[in-house]
Parts: sequence; C-alpha cells; structure tokens
Amino acid sequence: MFHKRYEKHVEHHQTRRAILSGIASTLGVSVMSPWSRVLEAAPATNATKAKKVIYFYMGGAMSHIDTFDPKPDRPDIQGDVGVVKTKTPGVVFGEHMTNLADLQDKLAVVRSMTTETADHQKARYWLQTSYPVLNSIRHPSMGAWISNEMGKINQGLPPYVLVNSGGNGHPGAGFLEPSLTPVPVADPEKGIENTELPSYLTDAVFKRRLSLADRIDSGFRERYAGYQLESYNQMYKDAVKLMGGTDLEAFDLTKEKEEVKERYGSSKVGLGALLARRLVEADVRFVQVDYGGWDMHNDVASSMADKGPALDQAVSALIRDLDSSGLLNETLIVLASEFGRSPAINQNAGRDHHPAAFSYVLAGAGIKGGAVYGKSDEKGHGIDEDPVGITDFNSTITVACGLDPNKEHFAPNGRPFKIGGGGDPIYDVLT
Amino acid sequence: MSGSSHFSGRWLFAAFLCIGISLLNVSAWSAEPASEEEWKPPKLPEAVTVKPEGAVLKVAPIDRETRPEIEQAAAQIDSILQAYWDENETKAGEKTTDHEFVRRAYLELAGRIPTIDEARAFCDSTNRKKRGQLIDDLLESPGYVSHLYNYWADILRLKERPSRDLFFEPYMAWVKESIADNMPYDKWVYTLLTANGRVVENPATGFQLRDAGMPLSYVDNTVRVFLGTQIGCAQCHDHPFDRWTQQEFYKLAALTNGSRFSAKQVLFGGASFGPDDSFSDSAPASDSPFKNDDDLIPNLARLRYGMQMAIDEKKIGGGIRNFYGSQTMMISSMDDEFRLPHDYQYEDGAPLDVVEPAVLWGKIPEYADDEDNRARFAAWLTTPDNRQFARNIANRMWKKVMGVGLVEPIDDFQEGNIPAIPELLEHLTDEMLRLNFDLREFVRLLVSTDTYQNVAVIYDPTAAEPHRYAGPALKRMTAEQLWDSLLTLIATNEWAYQRPTAQDLQTVYGIDMSVLDYEQFEQSYKNYNEYNRGLSRSRSKNCGLNGLVLARASELPQPSGASHLLRQFGQGDREAIETARRSATVPQILTLFNGWMTHAMLSQGSVIYDSVSAQKTMKSAVDTIFLAVLTHEPDADMRRAAEQEIQQASSPAAGCGNLIWALLNTREFLFID
Repeated sequence: MFHKRYEKHVEHHQTRRAILSGIASTLGVSVMSPWSRVLEAAPATNATKAKKVIYFYMGGAMSHIDTFDPKPDRPDIQGDVGVVKTKTPGVVFGEHMTNLADLQDKLAVVRSMTTETADHQKARYWLQTSYPVLNSIRHPSMGAWISNEMGKINQGLPPYVLVNSGGNGHPGAGFLEPSLTPVPVADPEKGIENTELPSYLTDAVFKRRLSLADRIDSGFRERYAGYQLESYNQMYKDAVKLMGGTDLEAFDLTKEKEEVKERYGSSKVGLGALLARRLVEADVRFVQVDYGGWDMHNDVASSMADKGPALDQAVSALIRDLDSSGLLNETLIVLASEFGRSPAINQNAGRDHHPAAFSYVLAGAGIKGGAVYGKSDEKGHGIDEDPVGITDFNSTITVACGLDPNKEHFAPNGRPFKIGGGGDPIYDVLT
Repeated sequence: MSGSSHFSGRWLFAAFLCIGISLLNVSAWSAEPASEEEWKPPKLPEAVTVKPEGAVLKVAPIDRETRPEIEQAAAQIDSILQAYWDENETKAGEKTTDHEFVRRAYLELAGRIPTIDEARAFCDSTNRKKRGQLIDDLLESPGYVSHLYNYWADILRLKERPSRDLFFEPYMAWVKESIADNMPYDKWVYTLLTANGRVVENPATGFQLRDAGMPLSYVDNTVRVFLGTQIGCAQCHDHPFDRWTQQEFYKLAALTNGSRFSAKQVLFGGASFGPDDSFSDSAPASDSPFKNDDDLIPNLARLRYGMQMAIDEKKIGGGIRNFYGSQTMMISSMDDEFRLPHDYQYEDGAPLDVVEPAVLWGKIPEYADDEDNRARFAAWLTTPDNRQFARNIANRMWKKVMGVGLVEPIDDFQEGNIPAIPELLEHLTDEMLRLNFDLREFVRLLVSTDTYQNVAVIYDPTAAEPHRYAGPALKRMTAEQLWDSLLTLIATNEWAYQRPTAQDLQTVYGIDMSVLDYEQFEQSYKNYNEYNRGLSRSRSKNCGLNGLVLARASELPQPSGASHLLRQFGQGDREAIETARRSATVPQILTLFNGWMTHAMLSQGSVIYDSVSAQKTMKSAVDTIFLAVLTHEPDADMRRAAEQEIQQASSPAAGCGNLIWALLNTREFLFID
C-alpha cells in the first residue's frame, strides 16, 4: 500500500499539490490553487540561514483553535478558552499565549497545515521523517538529515539531542549512520546520567575493561556483523567519547541561576527549552524538545490552562534569550505537533483528533517574522487558503537551513530520498 | 601457569570494587584527581539475597504426555520449511549447541538468562530428550508468565493510571493471572471485549475503559490488535490503499457503540459517547455492582458535597477526587443508534444517517443472535469461523518466537501484503485452531521445531534477498529481558516483591458507592492510600537499591519513569499499541558502564559475586564468570585475555570484577543469538 504513496511523493513530487488537494477534498476541504504562489516565489540566495535548530514537538496533537488559530467569532467552536491580541491588528492567539502574542512579530504562523492520518504514531513518523511508515525501511528524522548534511559543530558533543524523551518511537537516524541517532535526555534536570566512573575506577582500568570487552566480543561481532550490532558498536564509541569530553556541562542545568530557571518555568517544556538554549550555545546542531499531553479528549479548557501557559513561558523565554545573545540569527525554532484537534467540542468537553487543519510556528534564522501564512475555514475544520502538507513544511525547514530540498539522497538500498520529502517550501515565510 | 594456581577462599574478600585503594591517587578518567573518598559499594537488601520459600506463582501445569504429539506436529512445520528452502536454494541452518540453546530458551520462555546452576544442569545432562523437557519446565515457570505479561502489556497499553480516574492495578493483575491460568486466547479476547462493570470487580473491563469515550479509536485499536488489520484510515475517509470504506468502518463501530462509562450513565441512561455529533439518549442498563441503585445518584451527590467540604477545609487532599472517579467508572452496554459523521461525503449515505451495524467480513455467529451488539461483535471476532482471528495470533506468536512475522508488519494484513510462506501461515492457522487457541501449547509447538533450535540468522528488512526463516532472527533483548537478566546476576530471589493480585486489590478498592456515607468513603480512601504506602514500603525495604527496585520487570510500577534503565532500553510508554523498541542509544551504554545495576552486581551478596568468591582456582573463576554472563565457557583466546586481566589487576578480585564488567559490555550479552 505504501509503495504507491512512496512513488507519489518521491518520483512525482511535482504533482504533490494536486495530490494534496485530492486528499484535502477527501477530508471535506475546499482548496484554492496554490500554484501561482509557488511559481512566483523564488528562493532568496543571500539571506541568513539557520546553523542550528531547536524543534519543539507537542506530542498528542495540540489544538490549533486554542493556541495559534482561534475562532473568536464562533463561540460554539472556541469554547471556554479565550483569545489574546497580538501586535498585528486582527491576528489573535489563544488566551494562554500571552508572551508569544507579544513576540508575534518574530514568529511565522502557518495556519493551513494538513496531514493524512489521525493515528498518533503514523502522523508523528510522517512529521518527523516526511515519509510514511514503511516496513522495509526506516527513514531518517529531520534532525538526522540536517546533522548529516551540516555535520557536527562541537566535536565533543553529539550533534543531535532529544529532550524529554527516552527515544522510544523516534525514527532517529533511520538509514543514515547510527551515530546520528539523537541522544535522549529523559529528564532535563538530570541531564545525561551515569557519565562519571565510580571513584575507585581509574582511567587506565576503564580502558583495560573496554579493550577486554572488545577482544572477547570480536568473534560474536564478526559472526553477526550487520546493522544491529554496528549501531551498538557506534554507541559504545560515542558513549566513551562523551565521558571523556569536557563539554558535558552543557547538559547541566544546575549551572543556571534560579532567576533564569524561573523565567523558563519549572515545567518539562520550560526546563527543556532552557537545556536547549545551553546546548545550542555549546554548538549542538539540532535539539528536539518534546512536550506531551496534548491529547485533550477530555476537558480541553482545563487541560489548556495547564499546558498552555507553560509552553508560552518556555518558548518566549527562549526566543528572548536567543534574541539578546544574537543566537536567534543562526538558530531556527520550530513548534509542531502531529495533527490538530476538532473544532467541535465533544461530550467530555474535549476535542478529538483532527488531521484536516492545524497550525505550526516558526521563528529565528531564515524566517520572516510576523508572517501569518494560510487560512483555515471559519470553523478551523478545513483549509480555505494555501494548504501546507507535512512535506511542504519540512522542505521549508530544509531551505531555512540553507539546504537544497530538491537534491536526491540515496539510501543504502539505492532508493532516492529528499530532505523534507520533496515538498514545496513556503517561500512566503522564508527570508 | 597461574591457571592452576590456588586461590584461597578468602581471595575475594577484598571485594571486586576495592581495587581502587591502591590506585586512588592516580588520575581518574575525567582527568581530575580521583576522589579521596573510598568507594562504598551498595548494600543489597537482604530479601533479594535469600532463596524464596515455596512457589512464587501458581502456573497451570503442562500435559507432559503430549510431548510426542508436539514433536510430530513440530516436524510437520519443519518439513514445510524444508520444502520452502529446497525451492529457494536455501541451506537449512546449523543446530545450536546446548549452551546456545539453553540461553535462548530461558530468554524466550522465562524472560531472562539462565543462572549458572540452570545452565550447568542442562548442559551436563546426558538425557537425549532434555531440550523438550527444558521447554516444558520453563513453560510452567513463573518466569514464563512474567515474560508473556510484558509482551501483552506493551500491546494492551497497560499502565496504572491511563487517566486520573482509571485505577488499572486490578486489570494488570488479571492479565497476568489469566496468563498463569493459561486461559484460551479466544475466551480471553471475548472476555476483554464484553466485560461489564467496574475494574475492581471485573478487571477485564480495563480493555474497553482504556478507550472510554472514543468508540472510533476503540474499534480501530481492537481490530488492529486482534485481527491484524488497519482500518484506521477509514475513520475519516475511504482507506486509500486498502479495501475499507468509511461506511464499513462506521458499521463496525456501530457494533461496539453504546458502551457507558460512568455509574450515572449506566444506571440512568443518558447520552452515549459518539464521534463529534452522533450521540443519542437511551434507557439504563440492568446490571450494576451497587446494592442500592435507586439511592446511588443522591448518595453520589452527598459524597461529592462531603468531599468538597473536606477539601475546602483542607482536611483531605484533592487526590480523593480521583479515587471517587475510579469508583464510579464502569462500563455497560446498551444498543444505541450510531450515525455517520456530519461531513460524510460518499454517495452510499448522507451525513448523520443512522448506520446499520455490520461486520467487515463473514457473518455474526447465530448463537449470538439474542445478545447485545457488543457481544455479537465479540462473538464474530473470536469465532473459529473467523479465520483471520486465528491467523493473526498465529503470525504474532511466530514473530515473537522467530523474530520476523510471516506477514510484516504484523498488524497490516491486506490483499497486497502477501505472506512470506503462505502455506506455512495457513498451516500455523490450522494448528492454532486445532489447539483450541491454547497459546502456550502453540508456543510449545514452535520452540520444539528444529528450525527454532537452529543458530540465529540476521534479519535485514532492506536486503535484496527475502528473509528465509532458516533460524530465529538475531535480536536485542527486550528491555524487560535485559533487566530480568541483570537481576539474575544480582538477586538470589528475583521475586522479593510481587504486585498484589486482583483479589487482594478488590478487598482494598471495592467499595459500594450507593450505601457509604462521606465519613466511610473518606476512610476507604485513607485505607487505599495506606495500602499503597505499604506496597511502596515493602518494595523499598525488600528490594530497594538507590531508588531502583530489584524485582522482576513485570512487578514494577508501569511504565517505569523515563530515565529508568527499562525505559532507556526501550520499554514502551504504554500510550499506544506496541511502543517498545530495541534500538541503541548512548544513555543505555552509560548505564551499563556506570549505573547502579552494574554496581550492585559487583558488590558482595550479588549472585555472581558470591559464586565467583566460592571458586578455588582462577580457571574455575573465569569459567564461572563466562557461564553466568554469556552462558558458555571461554574459548582459548578469551581465556587468555581473561587470565591476563586477572593477573594484571591490583588483586584477583579486582580482575574478576573487571572481567564481569567487560562481559556485560559485549554485544553478545545484549543480543539473543
């Protein structure tokens, strides 16, 4: 089944828009032709491009109506979450996004996102890799692609870190080198654990232990040589390198003043954003910060009151800090989720899954601040203008990083792939 | 040569870890001076260092008489494979050695590596039927139950608190107990799909309550797990690549609709949960766990009032609300109208049309004609006439044992996805039916094949050549297998903490909300809290080590916290179907290097420490270490390397510690070959 889809996306990317329109209309969406816009726009050649990326992933599917695409004219849809004005007349955010509303001139909001499945796992894979789940191949995640193309900046640290996650269900390096698997930091306050040898163990003994393991294991490794063992061999090298390095402080939030921590907030996303800032300061290429709990089937208003302010505080503190340190000029910030939530409020005062329309936010290097791209319909149910598919969005990230979204990269099995999945970048939000 | 040099029994008393004493002033790994403080090895809790008394878990016995029949049936599977290999010019695999087999069998059937004694007993035995005997022994061991529980926990998304007011401990206990009782799989699934009442009295209700309020997700998940078919796309539009239409999806969902999820709804009717706008009112159900149904609603109001007063006056914490919620979450079935979504756009129906319930294929068995919709759905799904139900579980179990399904992904059966060896899959389906869905017998059959007992092969999904199933595929241990194996090297008693049974929990949780007054209700809540504190105390007293609980993974709180070893090694978060993973990450390695399980293993009182301490010669110490960690003796070069290390170390004890550490950090330890 996926073969067809695969062909569509890889070999016939030029017809993607048509296909997307088809899918969107399947979802009950009216679609305006975006061709003219795409053809007119040309990539800017001399603009600032991102060197690093901080990618906020809102697991569980974040409601667009309660965050970046409210519908105040439709109280039946808006429900109990109010709105807040931004700097731009007529552009409002959900009531908990007060700080981000202040920073709206630095954000590009895409209000016409649409995806193809309401299954959390599949949609998340699609978002993170730009390709559908296929049994015969594991696609690289965006962080792995970008780290692979742009390389490490700090040689002593992993190029790709995943915060607030153990790494389960993350596509990681896909078919790229196993060393491009993100290093998971499950708890920002603990950083990377177990990096210190017990006090009795010296450097020399540790090395002896390692070479002993290596020697005893050599027969087994030869016998079962292949991807599975190779990825472990690589992780062993990386772990030893990390322990021996001097940059581990980047993972240590205790180095931050209380006052700073308070600005980010003590939520998981607050601590995650703070850690992300430290990591990009230490020249980590790609940091993904996960913040789950958006699957608000029940009581969306009270759940939003819990998650919304924490998200707003964390992301706004990060943008302000990067802005004042100048790092915002070289760091792209992305805020994405696997899909949106239904305009209709269900029996449990919650919102159900909704893949037909939702919103993403971009900021920082390579991004045109203050842009609002695309339009959902009056209910936030379908797309009225400029639908953006996942591959279009990921291709936009690709261009923001100064990479070519049309270049073909070949997997070990010879199949061609494109970073971003061969979508059409949204040049309107790019500098 | 030192291989024969005599070690006094005391040689290890210096402790593996105390090698540091003579080296403390040498610069440490981090290039900083080593700590002046002497390393304090962790002290193991006593309960894990002594053998358990009596049986830890009652497991249904295996019928040993049927072993010859099992072997005949296993030979049939082998001959189908042999024909397939002949056809494809594949060489049959080599047979495993006893050492390879005993390790694999323990990991697959008891969820952990064998102990030194277990490995020796098997390898030294000259009984020609010993493999079959080992299989049968392990299949009725508590380890089998624990391992299978972990397998299903990942599929069923088992966790203690799927939401604030779902208390799932009784359900989790029930799943484990039904595995111990070896409940037939078809009956088990039927029970999960039709259970009524509250989790506390009827734990199987947990399956439906996991998706309470989401009938579309519920039917999607249920079909995916038990029929291996993904119909989820059809929730919003006709499936783009498979045959399912949105209409068919809704017809099936209509069969499962009508469940109520709170006491009030069950007893007094009310709107059911449908997709965004397809709900309707209906009459109450007749079954109830409450003595005094008529007084339930006024009494609930009284309880809520009392609760609010107590919270306002700060006499009790807000957690009592969750307890209240858990006591009123219940399920009952009422046949309701189910409607198409408001944006339905195909020609075979209009938006908001009432949907006639219907199954995806075949027909609902006649014996279920008088039952309600949910029971008819369950009867259709689990009947032997629904061959896909048997085929799906046969393929699942084949994958579990052989590493690669005959259909992959295992939950994507469809016309275009042709099984690797169709005649084998059909044969296995026949066998599943012949064995009347006895899953343990089915596993017994698979592991009794010669093919399972061949050396491992590598599965590479991207290879040009199809996978030929010449032996089980090499795979990394699951997180739980790894944890339980580390535990085997540390704890003499791996069962020093066990989760309470469903029966235990009922006496603590099961209260009648229709008759209690607020004071009694509050007291029940306090009892429940005290009970949980007691469990937590007994976990840390019996098994606690630096925040870890040294007990089998199946007995720990679930899922573990995100930075726990189990999660680092890929235990699922239990939020979606099968989220466990086996891929490599850096923190895994750091934990094996420097984590507390490694420290515990190298401390006095651990199984491996004590076993090695009891050895009189370097040779036997080295043999013991290899057997304990890798389940085989060292070859000549390995032995040379090991002995060199022991001689080079500051003491023999320190050398042994280094060797154990080194073996733990081999790929061979992590992978099941």
